Amino acid sequence: MRFFSPGDRKPRVGFFKFSCCTGCGFQLAYFQKSLEDTLKSFDFTFFRLASSSGTPEGPFDLALVEGAVTEPYQIIELKKIRANSAVLYAVGSCAITGGIPAIKAGVPEMEVQNKAYRTKLYGLTSLRPSVLGDYVEIDGSVRGCPPGERDLQEAMVSVLFHRKPEFAGYSVCVECKIKGNICVLVAEGLPCMGPVTNAGCGALCPSYHRACYSCFGLMGQANTAALKGKFRKLGLTEDEIERRFSLFDALETKK
Amino acid sequence: MKAKTGYLGRVEGEGALEFEIHDGKLKRLKVNIWEPPRFFEGMLVGRRFDEVPDIVSRICGICPVSHMMTSIRAVEKAIGFEPDRGTIVARKLMSYSQIASSHLVHLIMLALPDYYGKGSLMELLPDKEVTLKKFIRLKETFNGITSAFGGGRALHPVSMVVGGFTALPNENRIRELRSNLLSSKDDLMDIFKTVSGLELPDLQTGSEFVSLSAEGEYAVNEGQIVSDMGLRGKEDDYETLFDEKEVPYSNAKKTVVRGRGPLMVGALARIYLQSDRLSENAKKTALEAGLIPDPVKNPFHNILAQAVEILHFAEGCQALLEIAKPETAYLKPEPGEGEGAALTEAPRGLLYHSYLIDRGGIVRKANIVTPTAHNYLGIEENLRRLIENNINEPVERLKLLAGMLIRAYDPCLSCSVH
Ligand code: SF4
Ligand code: SF4
Ligand code: SF4
Repeated sequence: MRFFSPGDRKPRVGFFKFSCCTGCGFQLAYFQKSLEDTLKSFDFTFFRLASSSGTPEGPFDLALVEGAVTEPYQIIELKKIRANSAVLYAVGSCAITGGIPAIKAGVPEMEVQNKAYRTKLYGLTSLRPSVLGDYVEIDGSVRGCPPGERDLQEAMVSVLFHRKPEFAGYSVCVECKIKGNICVLVAEGLPCMGPVTNAGCGALCPSYHRACYSCFGLMGQANTAALKGKFRKLGLTEDEIERRFSLFDALETKK
Repeated sequence: MKAKTGYLGRVEGEGALEFEIHDGKLKRLKVNIWEPPRFFEGMLVGRRFDEVPDIVSRICGICPVSHMMTSIRAVEKAIGFEPDRGTIVARKLMSYSQIASSHLVHLIMLALPDYYGKGSLMELLPDKEVTLKKFIRLKETFNGITSAFGGGRALHPVSMVVGGFTALPNENRIRELRSNLLSSKDDLMDIFKTVSGLELPDLQTGSEFVSLSAEGEYAVNEGQIVSDMGLRGKEDDYETLFDEKEVPYSNAKKTVVRGRGPLMVGALARIYLQSDRLSENAKKTALEAGLIPDPVKNPFHNILAQAVEILHFAEGCQALLEIAKPETAYLKPEPGEGEGAALTEAPRGLLYHSYLIDRGGIVRKANIVTPTAHNYLGIEENLRRLIENNINEPVERLKLLAGMLIRAYDPCLSCSVH
């Protein structure tokens, strides 16, 4: 990780999109409380969603990349972005764990494609999904689908202050306990993925009476075996358990 | 002479425009959408019915509520589940507030810079500082509604599920949302004035205008298909009325009314076909903007229509918040077998989902047709008209005009490919 030397200019930011919903890009704009400050503190020299000016060539002090890798050209682009950027953060579950675009990883590629297109298949170049970290070194992961305000802010602020970002590295359960929620797994037997899911959302689902479905992806060192055991005791079938884990972590579970 | 726009900026997703002019004649034109496919229709097969909304939400980061809503209605029809009235009210609030915020983003961040010859909203600062502030405040107000009903976030909301809502905001929160809306009146009018004051290029389209229509209300979450060329139909007949074609040069499909030419869906078509059901204030502004009583079919006016709709949906939200009940119960639907189809009005127009679900509650077939697929042929057709009408202009001007027209449709390329 190399940080830019401040001088009197603003850090130059490039925002890039691969295979995804563009939601992480929009999340920057949904970021209303900090949007004005963000626009003023950074120089967005490349952000296709928000600007028709600028060039993808860089150089960038910070590159933010959303989306999974599912096309050959994206690998070449990603390597170029890496070479032109001091700091590169992966943004969102698609880029970090594969997220929703990776669901198809569990099924033969042609089988999936055949269900979406009838005649066009010769023109498609789509690959089995993979994540940014498979190809280049990542300086940080802004988790979530979409990322939460705290980590997004931390990503931006860390670059302004030239320090390593501190992203939430614990489970959703921790946030849930801090909020004082009643545990839906224990109290109601809902199949909550909170114990193995990376924090950052503020334990939204349990706060709204719903089991976490792991949209922030599995956290490092998650004890998935223990949670699967718990789900079995709740009466979930193996199929149902597999589905809980493959919604946002198909690349992990279908290795 | 060949012209290419390269990667289109300020458009959701990845695409570009190419055209060729020889001896003062437009020879070739195509909008190439290379947005990578994620094969949603393929990956949904094998998933359980109650996972569908959380998956399809990720088709699009700007209209996730529309994909959730349409899939929820289609799935509920397939499994034979009827939502209660409180749920229907809360669902309308989700859709109305999402359309308003989506329009705001489009108008202020994506479209506005064109009219000042700039590349982005950032380049319009500090001149447009006041507009930026109002935009942020309004967006916060509308996102606040989506997020209060959607479980804490407006993007990929968590509490709206098959069967209803796992939780709803309490009285205090609802009161707060109402008062935020009340105090946004001036901001709303100012944004309308900002947009209605723009000088929009001339263009007449021959496209068929298509939208939903419902008794006594401006249809959003449910309705019959209508058009200005006499098309009438139910959502269950959608697949026999419309035809989806694959395009060799693009990953998006083109959808047309069977046996007919290009169509246009979205805010302009909705107002064209349902102006009598707009709220009072929205009607006044529609009159002021020239959208009624004698509308011209100019696709550039879509941005005026969006500005009018923001006012309409603000009033719609206000009225619904009066009757929204926090205590709506969430009914957990049982898996069921069957087929279901639903059409809704997404911010950008007609959105279709259909599902075949087996006895175990597992999706066996899925079909999704998005607003931008409905508009795709019309966008190309009208780009041709626009360039032919201005053929003697310098190519840079043509590229700018073309970009403006594409943006006027507010296309969503991630959706169009999905
Ligand atoms: S991580 Fe989620 S919000 Fe971000 S681009 Fe992927 S699907 Fe969209
Ligand atoms: S509700 Fe879920 S996230 Fe919260 S403590 Fe229980 S298991 Fe953990
Ligand atoms: S609780 Fe789980 S599924 Fe819900 S928002 Fe947080 S990480 Fe995502």
